[in-house]
Amino acid sequence: MGVRLTNVAKTFGSFHALRDVSMEIPTGSFAVFVGPSGCGKSTLLRMIAGLEETSGGEIVIDDRDVTAVEPAERQVAMVFQNYALYPHLSVFENMAFSLRLARRPKEEVNRRVQEAARILQLGEHLPKKPSQLSGGQRQRVAIGRAIVRQPKVFLFDEPLSNLDAELRVQMRLELTRLHRQLGATMIYVTHDQVEAMTLADLIFVLKGGVVQQAGAPLALYDDPDNRFVAGFIGSPSMNFLPTVIAAREGHRVTLQLEGSEHAFTADLSGQAAVGQAVEIGVRPEHFRIGGAGLPVQVEVAEELGDVSYLYARTASGREIVVQRQGSRDRLDGQTVQLSAEPRHVLVFDGEGRRLR
Amino acid sequence: MSPMRRLENIVLTVLTLMAALVWIFPLYWGFLTSIRSEENAAGSVSILPDEFQLKAYLDAIFNTKLMLWYVNSIGTATIVTVLVILISMLCAYALSQIRFPGRRLLYGLVLGSFMVPGQTLVVTQFILMKDLNLINTWAGIILPQLIAPIVIIVYKQFFDGVPKEMREAVVLDGGGEYTILFKVFLPLNWGITTAMSIVTFIGVWNAFFWPFLVVTSEDMMTVPVGITQVNDAFGIHYARLMAVAMLAAMPVILAYVIFQRRVTDAIMISSGVKG
Ligand SMILES: Nc1ncnc2c1ncn2[C@@H]1O[C@H](COP(=O)(O)OP(=O)(O)OP(=O)(O)O)[C@@H](O)[C@H]1O
Ligand SMILES: [Mg+2]
Repeated sequence: MGVRLTNVAKTFGSFHALRDVSMEIPTGSFAVFVGPSGCGKSTLLRMIAGLEETSGGEIVIDDRDVTAVEPAERQVAMVFQNYALYPHLSVFENMAFSLRLARRPKEEVNRRVQEAARILQLGEHLPKKPSQLSGGQRQRVAIGRAIVRQPKVFLFDEPLSNLDAELRVQMRLELTRLHRQLGATMIYVTHDQVEAMTLADLIFVLKGGVVQQAGAPLALYDDPDNRFVAGFIGSPSMNFLPTVIAAREGHRVTLQLEGSEHAFTADLSGQAAVGQAVEIGVRPEHFRIGGAGLPVQVEVAEELGDVSYLYARTASGREIVVQRQGSRDRLDGQTVQLSAEPRHVLVFDGEGRRLR
Repeated sequence: MSPMRRLENIVLTVLTLMAALVWIFPLYWGFLTSIRSEENAAGSVSILPDEFQLKAYLDAIFNTKLMLWYVNSIGTATIVTVLVILISMLCAYALSQIRFPGRRLLYGLVLGSFMVPGQTLVVTQFILMKDLNLINTWAGIILPQLIAPIVIIVYKQFFDGVPKEMREAVVLDGGGEYTILFKVFLPLNWGITTAMSIVTFIGVWNAFFWPFLVVTSEDMMTVPVGITQVNDAFGIHYARLMAVAMLAAMPVILAYVIFQRRVTDAIMISSGVKG
């Protein structure tokens, strides 16, 4: 196992930043911690690095308990959001810094730095100072500094958030490529769910210091455990509507919308009593337009060419976002009928837990 | 440029020139006196050089202990500067980077001592040095001058301003406190260390009050203290006195001419105009 956390907790004074976090990250996988600001993802990453002490629990890296081990001895390398390059040293010396501290032979230092520079296409920049580099190049130097150390685990804390949108997409691809090339375990922190979905083999969604759900990107998308994960993963976000279970026949339940004639149907195998108030969630891309369905008034339509987003309102005033593929007829100001297949209607109880 | 702006510029230039003249005149007058003959020195009121002779300078160099005082001054100023920089830097580093109980209190004390004028402590300091048997010793001259809260404060502000990721990057790279301080933090801005060294050196070079109190032996005096000894049984020799003063000011003036920019920067940093 690459990294295993068992019941890890962190408190700052009386504030619980992380509670009872347990997870397993297989060797060689790309894990992403994602969640809203302040959910504790940086803290968790810093605890794995050893920069933050644990208040409880156990951290195991490569089958070795490192809970009480010094950061430098954990065989992890970290890439910071602000890069934290040494501004007075050249790119070469920045990457060589850890090797020099470890008193590696000159020839080895040279070889390992050159190798990292080759992987990251930094060769021509080696004699430059960080201030003479662009943002993307600085980011690569920061990654190079990590590669040179040949760590068991790479840790990234929002490494792309200081780059512009285009460069971010490019660096995202480079990171994926780098991960394949090195085959090392990588843990990546971001609050951007698109970054999480595109990079990860394994996503951990955090909120309020608690892991909400762990799984492969599409598993989280298709089968979220709770309302938070359902709303967080996917863009634009899932639509939520309050309903009441009006009827049940085997697995098929009828979900009557509040203040509307319309009902959705969904399949539930677990307990769900008729008369129970539940919330349903439908992704914008899963609504069908036309036929019998929930009438909504389209207020704004954003046409992006292939895709368009409709911002609509129900009779009772709830906002609904609908994604439409292909069709180009203008729907601004019109009333349309929305429906969804039962498998695309997710049901959540009063506490936000998913009913299956 | 409008005529109004131009007039304003001229007026401002004239005013600064006048201020500069007021500052430089005593120096100029001292120089004039030093190149006059002793008989003429006290009497002449000409503001132009009316005589040119170097007798007073030769006198100062060969008939006083000025050269010895020079050596003493350079020695104490160098030792004090090196020690002040080293001690203050380490103290500031601990206060800024290391979490230990009493840290705030300690920094409060440093700030507090910054607000107490040195002169108010001079009596207690003197008694302390006497009890330690350090009167008329090098240690007695040097030790009290090692207290430099301003240098600690400047260094602490500098260290506080370094992003914490810089420290963490070094820690992950396998470096300890020594590496963080000497291989990363200080090289980030050598200007701070240069500036603090210049300010401290000039301060010690010019220090008069304490060295004057603690030393009575002429052989251990520094230049500013020695000047007070440049008279003899026949009274004050103005030309010689001024020659000694000129020679005493020379290193500071030279340093200023050579390191002009750095000195102004240094004074600005330590007076908090620029951080
Ligand atoms: N040194 C500290 N002292 C006190 N509280 C802290 C400390 N570090 C973090 N916290 C708190 O712990 C919580 C988690 O912080 P953390 O930096 O891990 O958030 P994050 O998920 O990385 O957020 P962001 O996306 O904004 O970076 C926050 O509420 C933060 O205020
Ligand atoms: Mg963070």
